[in-house]
Amino acid sequence: MDTGTAYGLRQGAPLYDLAQVGPGTPYGEVLRRYWQPVALVENATTRPARVRVLGEELILFRTRKGVPALLHPRCIHRGASLFYGGVEDEGIRCCYHGWVFDPEGVCLEQPCEPELGLHRDRVRQPWYPVQEQYGLIWVYMGPPEKKPVLPRYDTFEDLPDGEQLIVNDAGVGGGGPAELDFNWLQHWENVMDPFHVPILHARFSGNQFTPEMAVIPEVSYEYTPTGVRSIQMRGLGDGRRLRRVTEVMFPNLRVVPSPKLASGQTNMIGWVVPEDDTNFRIFTVARDEDPAFLAKLRSTHEGKAWKDLTDAEHQRLPGDYECQKSQGPISLHSDDHLTTTDQGVAMVRRMMAKQTKVVAQGGDPVGLVFDPADALVRIDGGNYFEGAPDAPLLADAVED
Amino acid sequence: MTRYEARPPRGDRPLAVLGISDVVVIEGTPSVPVTMHHVSAWGRWVRDVAVPDAAPDLIRVLAQRYEVVWASEWGHNAHTAFAEALGLPAEPWPFLPVQFDKLAVIRDYARGLPWVWIDGPVVDLHDPGEVEDGVIVRVDPSCGIAGVDLDALDAAVRGIVR
Repeated sequence: MDTGTAYGLRQGAPLYDLAQVGPGTPYGEVLRRYWQPVALVENATTRPARVRVLGEELILFRTRKGVPALLHPRCIHRGASLFYGGVEDEGIRCCYHGWVFDPEGVCLEQPCEPELGLHRDRVRQPWYPVQEQYGLIWVYMGPPEKKPVLPRYDTFEDLPDGEQLIVNDAGVGGGGPAELDFNWLQHWENVMDPFHVPILHARFSGNQFTPEMAVIPEVSYEYTPTGVRSIQMRGLGDGRRLRRVTEVMFPNLRVVPSPKLASGQTNMIGWVVPEDDTNFRIFTVARDEDPAFLAKLRSTHEGKAWKDLTDAEHQRLPGDYECQKSQGPISLHSDDHLTTTDQGVAMVRRMMAKQTKVVAQGGDPVGLVFDPADALVRIDGGNYFEGAPDAPLLADAVED
Repeated sequence: MTRYEARPPRGDRPLAVLGISDVVVIEGTPSVPVTMHHVSAWGRWVRDVAVPDAAPDLIRVLAQRYEVVWASEWGHNAHTAFAEALGLPAEPWPFLPVQFDKLAVIRDYARGLPWVWIDGPVVDLHDPGEVEDGVIVRVDPSCGIAGVDLDALDAAVRGIVR
């Protein structure tokens, strides 16, 4: 008799508590306790734009005086969308009856009402606090009384001569389109899965990064005060060892040094920002001399860009996108068989569960900064070579 | 069979289902003496973990009275990784590879045997509620299994058997 057939298969369920991001969901409330990047600064203009973040639709604009704003789209007067509004010096005017709201939702004018609105100071268009930093628009969508300081990161401070900050919202590290169409957690927890690298990105699909990354590492995992870290040791066969440190930092940061093995502290950080439960974007900030550094990080597949692959080539040369997207709109986590290579993934999920409980009980999740004096965050991720300092990278040797 | 099926229980004694994190590993500041152990299994990964000094003796006594089953995200690594730190027998105990909301998996495995499930509070994404077919023990994460009163446990399990 055949055994193990798919007949009668009962499928499992997602870990919704960790995967969902909307208002009131356990991890959605964790995410809302931190500042989130939502757009490149140049995308905040005098033309209103729709922005979807954490399951909420918002309208992004910049007043003619230069102040960025994120408002709830539905005008509090009669519900017309501010997407069709007109941006003015001080705010945005609803197209329907002309009510004007400033970046904090204060109603400045109700033109059809006596004296431009005798009671306009008694209403407020829902809004969120916004800041600009590192070329990004950041929003805080959590309880106002718990608003933290927007952190800064040491790797982006005090840039050496010739280096510049580079920002990208096109899905660096996602291996697919700019807007990734599956649950964000499938991407984020992959950061703590270093064992997929020598399989997916080397043995299966050819060296998508460098020959060093094809070596199966020995991995040390540890919790940090702000997340989970993996330290991957690879013997390079020439007397050197590569110590590659990657981190997830809560609630959704990916600290992944260049897989092309630039040496030293990582020069880039990514934020995995859910638009909703089944779509997300990756905002990446980097420092480098080359303004095209992030664009050049995109892997090619036998010389072709991901978007140019045929269906057959996607099958023959899969990458992160093909794996994570095919896990489903929201992966059925209860069907996972976590094993030797999944220590990091299990640790991430466990630390996420802890944060949901802390937040539900009114506490502060890890890594929040409330004192501006503590706003500078140290980043430990990087590629560190040990031994035989003058030995070339395997990649260099191959090219030679 | 498409999902992993654990080795079935022997059936001659109640089950003691143990989590790892918060039970034999203290992740925060410990309130009991602990020793750091460098644990691994088959060499691909390592973790440095704090194990309560009282854990080996408690688990040895537990194993005399119950059939011990691991239920954790450590999967098949659990027994091998902690064998030295906890003085475990060479033959691995059964394991249930489950990280959160483990009650249904434990009941399915127990097949009517009385059971006690010792774990940390983080694993309950949803309240398991009151149970009558087993005993749920939630440890204080600062002391883990070192805070478990085995005699009280026995009495509670005897209550199920009756």
